[in-house]
This record gives sequence, C-alpha cells and structure tokens, in this order.
Amino acid sequence: MRRIQSMVSPSSAEFRRNEAHNRELVATFRSKQDAARHDRPARDLERLAKQNKMRPRERIEKLLDPGTPFLELSSLAANMAYGGDSPSASSIVGIGIVSGREVVIRADDPTVKGGAWYPLTAKKIVRALDIAMENRLPVVHLCDSAGGFLQLQSEVFPDKYMAGRIFRNQSILSKIGVKQLALVFGHCTAGGAYIPGLSDYSVIVRGTGAVFLGGPPLVRAATGEDVTVEELGGADMHTSVSGTCDYPAANEDEAIHIGREIVSQWDRAKKWDIQREAPEEPAYDPQDIYGILPDDIKKSFDMREIIARIVDGSRFHEYQPNYGTTLVCGYANIWGFKVGILANNGVLFNDSSLKGAHFIELCNQNNTPLVFLQNITGYMIGRDYERRGITKDGAKMIMAQSCSRVPKFTVMCNGSFGAGNYGMCGRAFDGRMLFTWPNHQIGVMGGDQAANTLAEVKMNQMKRNGDAVDQVEVERLWENTRKAYQEQLSAYYSTSELWDDGMIDPVDTRNALGIAISASLNAPLGEPGYGVFRF
Amino acid sequence: MAFKLVLDGTLHEIDIVRRRPHLVVRIDGCEHEVSVTGSYDDGRQAIEIAGSAVHFARAHAADRLLLRLDGRSFEAKLLDPRSEETGGGQDSVRAPMPGAVVTVHKAVGDQVSRGEPLITIESMKLQTALPAPRDGVIAAILRSEGEVFDKDEIIVRLEDMAQES
Amino acid sequence: MSSSHATNPPAAATSIPFKRILVANRGEIACRVFRTLNALGIASVAIHHRVEARAKHVRMADQAVEISGETPVAAHLDGRQIIEAALATGADAIHPGYGFLSENAGFAKAVVAAGLTFIGPDAATIALMGDKISARNFAAARGVPVAPSVMPTQDIDAFARDAAAIGFPLLIKAAAGGGGKGMSIVRSASELTQAARLAASEAQRYFGDGRVYAETYVERPRHIEVQVLGDGQGNAIHLFERECSVQRRFQKIIEEAPAANLAPELREAICAAAVRLVAAAKYRNAGTVEFILGADGRFFFLEMNTRLQVEHPVTEMITGLDLVRAQIEIAAGHGLPMAQGAVAQHGHAIECRICAEDPAREFLPETGAVRYLGVPEAEYLRFENALDPGQKITTDFDPMLAKLVVHGPNRDAAIARSIAALKELALLGVTTNIDYLARVLGHPAFRAGDLHTGFVAEHREALVIDQPTPDVLHQALIAAALGFREFHDLAFSVPEPHASIGQWRN
Repeated sequence: MRRIQSMVSPSSAEFRRNEAHNRELVATFRSKQDAARHDRPARDLERLAKQNKMRPRERIEKLLDPGTPFLELSSLAANMAYGGDSPSASSIVGIGIVSGREVVIRADDPTVKGGAWYPLTAKKIVRALDIAMENRLPVVHLCDSAGGFLQLQSEVFPDKYMAGRIFRNQSILSKIGVKQLALVFGHCTAGGAYIPGLSDYSVIVRGTGAVFLGGPPLVRAATGEDVTVEELGGADMHTSVSGTCDYPAANEDEAIHIGREIVSQWDRAKKWDIQREAPEEPAYDPQDIYGILPDDIKKSFDMREIIARIVDGSRFHEYQPNYGTTLVCGYANIWGFKVGILANNGVLFNDSSLKGAHFIELCNQNNTPLVFLQNITGYMIGRDYERRGITKDGAKMIMAQSCSRVPKFTVMCNGSFGAGNYGMCGRAFDGRMLFTWPNHQIGVMGGDQAANTLAEVKMNQMKRNGDAVDQVEVERLWENTRKAYQEQLSAYYSTSELWDDGMIDPVDTRNALGIAISASLNAPLGEPGYGVFRF
Repeated sequence: MAFKLVLDGTLHEIDIVRRRPHLVVRIDGCEHEVSVTGSYDDGRQAIEIAGSAVHFARAHAADRLLLRLDGRSFEAKLLDPRSEETGGGQDSVRAPMPGAVVTVHKAVGDQVSRGEPLITIESMKLQTALPAPRDGVIAAILRSEGEVFDKDEIIVRLEDMAQES
Repeated sequence: MSSSHATNPPAAATSIPFKRILVANRGEIACRVFRTLNALGIASVAIHHRVEARAKHVRMADQAVEISGETPVAAHLDGRQIIEAALATGADAIHPGYGFLSENAGFAKAVVAAGLTFIGPDAATIALMGDKISARNFAAARGVPVAPSVMPTQDIDAFARDAAAIGFPLLIKAAAGGGGKGMSIVRSASELTQAARLAASEAQRYFGDGRVYAETYVERPRHIEVQVLGDGQGNAIHLFERECSVQRRFQKIIEEAPAANLAPELREAICAAAVRLVAAAKYRNAGTVEFILGADGRFFFLEMNTRLQVEHPVTEMITGLDLVRAQIEIAAGHGLPMAQGAVAQHGHAIECRICAEDPAREFLPETGAVRYLGVPEAEYLRFENALDPGQKITTDFDPMLAKLVVHGPNRDAAIARSIAALKELALLGVTTNIDYLARVLGHPAFRAGDLHTGFVAEHREALVIDQPTPDVLHQALIAAALGFREFHDLAFSVPEPHASIGQWRN
C-alpha cells in the first residue's frame, strides 16, 4: 500500500495558528478530565482512607496487568449535568487487560456522594454492559456504591434504559456466556446488591464490603430488627452462610489478587479472524493533527492528512479516488487490523453517497471493519440534487451502513450535521465505539443556520399575522437560539449526555481505535443481508 | 501490581514496564531491557539483558526455583500476595460440624504453617484434625480439650506473623 | 592431552582370564569400574539395595543383583550376600572399589575361599596395612620415615631427655588425654621440662593418669600420597604423588597431581620411600602410601590404603594410565603395566569432590533431589558421577555426589580450567560445595601452592561467599522471575495490540 503524501507544511502560519488553537482545546479537555478524575472533597477522601479503602482508580491500576493500556470511556460523562456533582457520572468504565484477557472494567466511585447512582450513572453502566454484550467482553465490577440517588429516582429507576436495564444486561451477558466478576469493596445496597448477585463470580472484602437489599437503618424502620452491617451482609456471612458471594478477602489488595486469579481461569474467546499485518507506526507524526484541524469549523481540510496520522505506516489504498471525491474511501491498517475507512471531504453528493454505499458493501463482503471519520455538514440539498434522487442515494448509504455485519467505529473529527450523521454511522447506528474530538460540534444544523432559520420563521409569522416585524425581538430570538444551540452543539455537551463513548485527544485516536477494534473481534460477525435498496 | 520475589532470603519487587519491542522490567526501581527471554523450561537458558547474553541454569523444585548463574547458586520464591498481605483471608478456624475437642496441638503464641494440625475434634465418632488455614500465629484457642461446640463455631483464631523489619 | 600419554600396553587385554566381574560398590566408583570392564569386553555385575534399584550403576551393568540389609549401607557391607551374588551370576572376580569392603581382610579371604579372585592384595597384606601400629612398625623397619615419638611415661626427666633427642617442635600430650587437656607445643629444649611437668600435672588432675608422651609436631602439614602398583612378587612402581591437603572435617575435598612446589629431590625421596614399602610388602594391586610432609621438608609415613583411591583419576590424567585396568591385569597375573622408567608425567590435574553439604554451616550434609544437572564438557575434563535427574539425595550414603577432574598443561591452567568448569557445573536441587570449591581454587594461597591441612580453617573468612554485585543480583532476579509461571504468563500472555501499546492512558 502506498503512503499518503502529506501536503501539510508545519512551518506555515496557518498550521501554527491551528496548532495553537487546538492545543488550547486539548489543554482545556485535559484539565476538565483531570478535575473529573481527581478533584474530590477532602472529607470524602479522608473517610475513604479511614476505612482503609483505595480510591477507585488505584483499584483499577492494581487490577490491570502492569505495562498494559487502559482505554477509559466517557471520562467526561455528566460534566454538564447536576451542577458538576457527578464527575464522570460517578463511575469509571474502560477496557483493559486483566490476567492477559480483554475485559470491561466498571467501577463505582465512592469519593462522590458515596458512589450514588445518578441518571447518567445508570446510562453509563448500561452502555458499559452493552459494550460487553456487543463485543463479548467479560466484565469486572468494582462495587462500592450507596445505591440510587434518591432525589432523582424518577430518572434512575423506572424506564427501559434506566437502572433495571443494568440487571437485565447482566442476566443476558451471563446467558450468552460472557463472564462477570464483582469485587465488593464497599456497600452494594438495594438494586446495587444485584450486581454481585447477578455476577458469575464475586469476591467480598471483610470489614468494608457488604451486600444487602436494605441496610440496617431500613431494616430497623421496617421490622424493628436491630442488626449490624456485618451480620446483615458482611463478607463472612455471605461467603459462609448465604452463598451470595463466593470468596472472602481480608482486604482490597487480596480481593484484587483473587479477582485476577479468577479471571485467569476464564477461557480465552477465540477471536474472529480478521486480516492482520504486523503493526507499523504512522509515517507522519500524529501531533500534526493539531496543526491540520482548522481553528474555525467552517474552514475545510483534507481528511487524508488525518488518515495519514492514524493508520499504520500512513499507508492507504484509496478506492475510487476520482469519483464522488467528497467522500474519501479506502483500506488501511490500524495497529495491524485491516479496516475500511470512510472520511468526509465535503458535503455528500449523489455520487459520493453511492460510492460510500458501495464501499460499505465491499467491506462487508471482505470481512473488513469500518471506520467512519466524520466531518460532515450533510447531504447536498436543492432542486437539482433532489431531482437526481439525493434522498434515495443517501438512503442507500444509510441502508448499507445500518445493515453492515462488520463492526463499525466512528470518530467525530470536526462536525456532524444533519442526515450526514446517519450515513456516517452516528450514535443511533450501533457502532461498536464512537469517540469525539474536543473541537467537534454536532446538531441537526449549525448554530447560525438554526438561528437564521428560526428568525426567518418568526419574521414570517409576524408578517403573516400582519404585525410589524419587531427587529429587537427577532435579534433576541436569533441570539438566544444561537446560544442554546451552541451549547448543545459542543462536544462537551455531547459527551456529558453519553452520545459518545468519550472525548479523546486526537493523538490518542489510533490507540483508542486499536483497542476498540481488538475488542470487537471477540464477537461473531452479524448476519449478512440488507433491506430493500431504493434504486 | 508488582511481583514480590524472595531471592536467598531477601525480598525484591519486580514489575513489568513494557513488553514491546522488548520486555522491560523494573527491579527495586531499576529498569532492565530483556531482549531475549528464553523459555520457561528447566535447564540451561540464555537470555539477553541490556544487549548482553546471560547464561544460567534453572530448575523448579515445588514452589522454589533454583538457579545457577555467574558461578553462583540462588534460590528464589514468589511471595503469594494472598498469604503475605492478608494471610489468605482466613483468620479463624471454624468447626465443620458439631462435636468435642479431643486434643489441642498448639498453644497461643505458637507459629504455625498452613496445613499444620491445630486441634483434633471428634464428631459423630469421627476424629478430624483441623489444619491451619494459613501461616500465622495462634491468637486464641477458644475451646479446650473435652469442651463441646456447635457447627461453625470459631475454635481457633490466627493472627499475622510479626513483620520482619 | 591424552594423545601424548603412555597408555596401558594393549597386548594384555586379550588374555585376561576374567569373563565376568562383580563390582561390590555403587555410585560413581561402580560406574567408573564398569567403564573399564566395558572397554575390556568383560561382563559386569552390579549389586544394589532396594532403594537404589534404578540407580545409574545398576542400569549400566550387564546384570544386577539386589542385596538386602537393614540400611542400604549395611547391605553393601554384607560380604556373604555379595559373594553369593558373584557365584550366582557366574562372576570370576570381585572388584571392591573404595570404602565398604575394599579394605576388609575377612572379605578378601572369603572371596578367595569361594574360588573367586579378589581384585586387591591378599588378606594378610590388607590386615598388615589396616592396623596403624603394625603398618607403622613395618614401615619403620623398611627405612620409611615415621613420626618420632616418646612412649608414655611418668618419669619426667627420662621423658625430657628422650624427647629432646627427637628434636623440636614437639607435641606433648596426656597419654589418657583428649580434648586438648594437658596438650602443649614445645619449640625449644629450655621449655621442655617445665612443659612436661605442667602437662603431667594437668593429666593427673583431669584424667587421674599423669603419664605423658610426645611426638614430632609437624607444622602446617601437607598431605602427600604416592600412587603405587605392586605385582605381588616384590616388583613395584610409583605413578608419582598426589597432594590432598585441602580438607574439611578430616576429609579431602581437593586433590591434585603432582603436588605443588615440591622440590624434585624431596619428591623423589617420598616416591622412593613408598616403592620401598610396597616392594618389601610384596604388595599386589594398586595402592596409596600416605605421608605427612612438614614445612621443614621432613616427611613421615601416615598409612597405606590397599585399594583404588577416590582421587585416582588425577593420577590417570597425568600418566594416561587406566588404574582399574592395571588392577585387573595385576589380579590376572599379568604383572605391572610398565617399568618405572616408562611412566611419564604430563601436565597437572585437579580433582574437586562435589558434596551435598553446606559450607556456610560447618559443611554439614544436605539432602534434596537432583532437579537439574548440567555438566561442563571438554576433552580435558572428567565428571565422575552416577547422578540421575530426579534422584533423591539422602543421608543413606556418603555426601559425595560427584568428582570433577580437570587436566591442564600446568598447574595454573588446571586451576583456571577447574574454576571455569565449576562455574559452569549446575547441580540444582541440593545445596553443594561447588561454589566453595571454586573459591578455594581461586584463593591466592591455593594458587601459590601454599597448602596445608589447616587451609580451610586458616582461610575461613576469605572463603565465605561474597555478596553478588547488583548486576548479577538483578540478572538472577530476572532469570528467576522468567521461571515463575505467574510472571511468565503476565509477561507473555498479553494480547496484541495491547502488548505493543503498553502502559497507555487516555
């Protein structure tokens, strides 16, 4: 495969301007991430230390094999919710290596409100278990949670994709043979008790770990029975009397050691056989991405320059290089894995849509996972394009993409607007993993466009009603609309709401995709076949 | 997580830093690149550390590992985190069935090794020796000879051995 | 090295009358004898106790007979069973090796009485040399120097007069004594009477017996022994000397041939004395005459061993002769393999006795099992052993596990090669003195040939193992870690691309 010949000049003024802009964005991302991970009230940390408990990230570091990566997912979940009271949505989720096996690690965070589950916590856990299910990845739960955040129970408890879904997913995981291990470091109360209860294996720490449907105060209130935590749901009771937990551990270190030993007993799933080469670092420095991404979302750039900084050896076999050129399609390898890449180099026209649909079919025929690099303002609109069937051509691309049997991965590189999001495997399309860069914006349309559209509608309404056009009110409407849009368009909002699997630094894209692709190969390919294409 | 290795009676920590392109380990804070790692088998081995060949012979003997390297003999043991840090998580010996104490083999303060009989009980005309669940020191013996007990009663309590400084 | 050596003349081999020989021994020496039997085309019979039924010497022999006894050693000392085994298997002769029954006159006699050949001297010679007093008197009568002594007496003046006549230094001892009580070293006549009185009074006080006696005190004594061959007709030759001064717990651990720094005249005198003794005794068989050599050059007869010696290979290496073959040929009546003048000496050889013992704990015997045996190989080296993988090392038998015998063109080369071979030798599963032996060989005093039987005690501190360098320590830790399944799995079971991505956090 040929190397992409980069046209980027790192010494140009434009490059430097972009670089300064994007490094600033990444610095902001890192500082928010750092705060979400580590800023905690001293009181909570002291309480933890007094209980001889580790912080959840220490537990994870000890659980992982040394010298191996950990792909943390949705580190900024809930960053724009609950007034910042639930950093990372009070839980840590990621993919790592335990005893040589790829696993999903899901940890409660007792340093935030006792590890209570907020609505987005439930969403994050459900998503973690969906990832486990879709990729057939075993799960290690690090349990230490007070239970549901009662003030928001209506958003945590009742609906299909709320807390109950966690336990439904746990049951289904076990049914399909995906193992789960619960390490009980702290309390698992009420619904939380079912996490160890529904795990195939569980370890509980003596003295601090406890599992019960109702804690001592609730028991006292309900039945008048006076009972200690240890008697009600402690390690010795559950491992020698009730059989709810399997292994007692004298402390957290031992619990982790026992957990690692349990994981080492699990069979290694045979991976789906994808074409693989020896990995090769990109020929161009991934740090260049900062200078390539424009400082203004309206400016265009060549996605091949990004591809050259993600794929092995910067080698890219481009498909149909002279047709439908606003969608770059081609084969490359990421950490050795053969992938088919679709990347936007402008608006999707009829030909680029058809090319995309065709290339997706080729990758399905060739058992090649798909990687979508989104920077899309949408499908072309206008009379000529509609007459040429832009809608049915876009539908073909969506049909081909939706029905793909190969795993799909999406990176939100710059912008994702309108139906382009659908064709390019947006969140709704069951991609195995979706990452967002800090500069990214997402919405049905851009902020200015939305404001213009709504202002236009308002003015027309005024005119229709025979009122004088109140320019001040229209201005205010325009400004308010733009502002509200702008906030919701931001990558931070997107990742806060778990519309993605996490915001990542663009230079981390290659590793994130490598780990995600590797994980995806644990699950069998989907059923082949498509719906009815509208020709 | 670091490995704790006891080499000729001295504790060392060994950790894996990297695996590619070569294995890099950290021993007591010092990193070494092991470019050729040999095999796991017993016998003569050649490995390469920091680009230099190191020849040695190695043999497994139960939980010990015997080495001959640079004209010296070494004996290594991997510290089991379960017994070292926690004592296997079992601080007490419980009665597996109701019965009576026949013989008490140990006294409070005695050092015991895992598997050593602590107490012999009789139950349903069957004598059973209750072994130490881990290495440790007898903290308490709660039933003396002739005394009876119920199932699951704690009969002996263990505590950790004093840590060597 | 062996190509330039004299070898046993080939002609005799064809006419050896023995068709089958039983070796009344075990371990390395049985294997050693079997090697020669194989080379000579003589069938071999091994004996063994139940505990060593699968031992190497049993497997190596053409036939094996189990002998019983309360202990394995007792079985090997049961001459009656052994002779029965020889008769039952149709053996013509018995080779006793060393130890066990090799110097048992009664056994030699019984073997002959059973109509078999005993590969060794006749019973009378064994008895003569087996008794210290009779051997000493026999030697003294043939002009072989023995350590002068004054017989026990209570007459202090007579004692002092006689003792002064011997010369100094002298060791004065209580006749009934022990434990150093009443013992003193006297270096001049002026001290003598006073020391004798003191010794006598102490002897009286401690033992109730005031008699004292004295003998020549040999300072920094060296143990020099001469390998001899006698044909039983009064013809004898020597195959030069060996030095066995490095000892612990009164047993040799390093032997070499020739002795270091021995003046040619002195060497000639010692060897000649040995031949004189052997010829006078009409000795038949290979044998060893042991001497004590003082720093002043005086040497005294110690004892004679009427059998093959543990350390015989060093002599074989410098002379190129096969001593077992020589024994068999002499026993067959073929006489000596060559005349004295034809015995040549080439280079230097050193033997190290590899023992299951802990030098850090007073050389106390150790037990274990052979988990791995890695033996250095070279044409200049013999590793005499009967070790098998997995073999248990118990206290049933002697702690000596093997002998490493190394030849070199000169003493320095032999030392260097021995140290290298010891470093390469790997015997894992039991604590041994391998490293200790290497330290002895590497000690400047050993290199200088400054040897005496107190060597191990004198250099005790210098011979303690030093701490490994941090480099070696870390190498050992890495080598060890890679041998633990837990570590091995962790290092090598991480899948790709994770192993390549390494310690990465996003």
